[in-house]
Amino acid sequence: MAATFFGEVVKAPCRAGTEDEEEEDEERTETPEDREVRRQLARKREVRLLRRQTKTSLEVSLLEKYPCSKFIIAVGNNAVAFLSSFVMNSGAWEEVGCAKLWNEWCRTTDTAHLSPAEAFCVFYHLKSNPSVFGSCPKKNVQVTVLTSRHVTDYRTSESPGSLRCPFLRALKTQTLKEPPCCPLLEQPNIVHDLPAAVLSYCQVWKLPAVLYLCYTDVMKLDLVTMEAFKPVLSSRSFKGLVKNIPQSTEILKKLVTAEEIQSNIYT
Amino acid sequence: MASRYDRAITVFSPDGHLFQVEYAQEAVKKGSTAVGIRGTNIVVLGVEKKSVAKLQDERTVRKICALDDHVCMAFAGLTADARVVINRARVECQSHKLTVEDPVTVEYITRFIATLKQKYTQSNGRRPFGISALIVGFDDDGIPRLYQTDPSGTYHAWKANAIGRSAKTVREFLEKNYTEDAIANDNEAIKLAIRALLEVVQSGGKNIELAIIRRNQPLKMFSAKEIELQVTAIEKEKEEAEKKKSKKTV
Repeated sequence: MAATFFGEVVKAPCRAGTEDEEEEDEERTETPEDREVRRQLARKREVRLLRRQTKTSLEVSLLEKYPCSKFIIAVGNNAVAFLSSFVMNSGAWEEVGCAKLWNEWCRTTDTAHLSPAEAFCVFYHLKSNPSVFGSCPKKNVQVTVLTSRHVTDYRTSESPGSLRCPFLRALKTQTLKEPPCCPLLEQPNIVHDLPAAVLSYCQVWKLPAVLYLCYTDVMKLDLVTMEAFKPVLSSRSFKGLVKNIPQSTEILKKLVTAEEIQSNIYT
Repeated sequence: MASRYDRAITVFSPDGHLFQVEYAQEAVKKGSTAVGIRGTNIVVLGVEKKSVAKLQDERTVRKICALDDHVCMAFAGLTADARVVINRARVECQSHKLTVEDPVTVEYITRFIATLKQKYTQSNGRRPFGISALIVGFDDDGIPRLYQTDPSGTYHAWKANAIGRSAKTVREFLEKNYTEDAIANDNEAIKLAIRALLEVVQSGGKNIELAIIRRNQPLKMFSAKEIELQVTAIEKEKEEAEKKKSKKTV
């Protein structure tokens, strides 16, 4: 920058190139095409709420359309398989919408075929009792989150060989009065990603919420891990939702067998 | 901290860990369960069979392999690594027989496999073998043997042991139930192996494979029918035990 004789400030060309100079260079070289590319990328990465598996979006906020008293979210393939075998097969659940998202790490853009491992979320509500739902929470709603994590992330002073895998730990918000059905997560362990975000949201908005975290040594779909979630069925949030336990176990087994056959690396 | 010390296996971490070896032990846990029992006159190996794809030939997916006429082993972990180790062990068995005109002892071949595994924990550019093995057999002196090796290259003799997924659960079951009565005769030892596997195997008898070696007899693989018979007998015993319990409480 330089001041001219008349007092105006002008950009003086400088081959040394100052910091300001570099920034201005970038602004100068950003073309409308760059902006367009960035806008398209942002649109692609948008989280879209869609009505069922169609392309029509849910204009009305889910929250207003389906007020709910129980919100259960399962994160990870084991938790999802457990929920779909035990809870969703014990009643008529109706799919009301789904959240689709994409970012550069997704291996596929084809979100038409649901599988427990896909990176998006489907919302269901119980036909017989529409107040039970997976949606955005309001007051008077109880949130339950199920997820799993590898046992090597579990920090403890005990020797890792003595840990009996898989095991359940819980983390709850202040407003939840009911004690969880397993020990609380000890320090210095922390929760990551979506379950942590959900729990933080609930803590900030004073919603009663509990997170059940299963530490396991098998991260793919595994019967023993899924069965480790069973104590959760006795909690208040699942009361009345689970009916056919033997049948659910059969469904779980089928899910696991379907996945197991894929890989021949380990025997 | 771990990530700075696990790129090259020849590097110790400040607290004395060889992380690649420990990670190899995690790979073992991804394989299905195998259990070995040393009886008085019999050694038993039981494994959880992996489900086979429809178009796959079941005979080519084997967890129990004979190393020689009097020694066999079961493994858990990376299939390809197991194939390499088994081939080397088989060649060593024959080479030994031709050189010294005696079949290998179970301890000799176990030590050979363990030494091979240990070499791979001390070379640069190589990773450890991702398998644990249960090696069973009878020596010339007629004594039954059961050894277990792991990716670090250690080996130990055991009365009964389990490897692979849920090995801890099975081992705890064996610690409670391996008694002199339980191995009193051959059939009881076989039942103990099956009972141990049933603790963790999902779909019962049809997912179990069993092999036994009796003194001075070759390896015998059980057919599905024979296993089913044993499973039925075990379930009957369980029912009777439960009936007795309920009678006592009433």
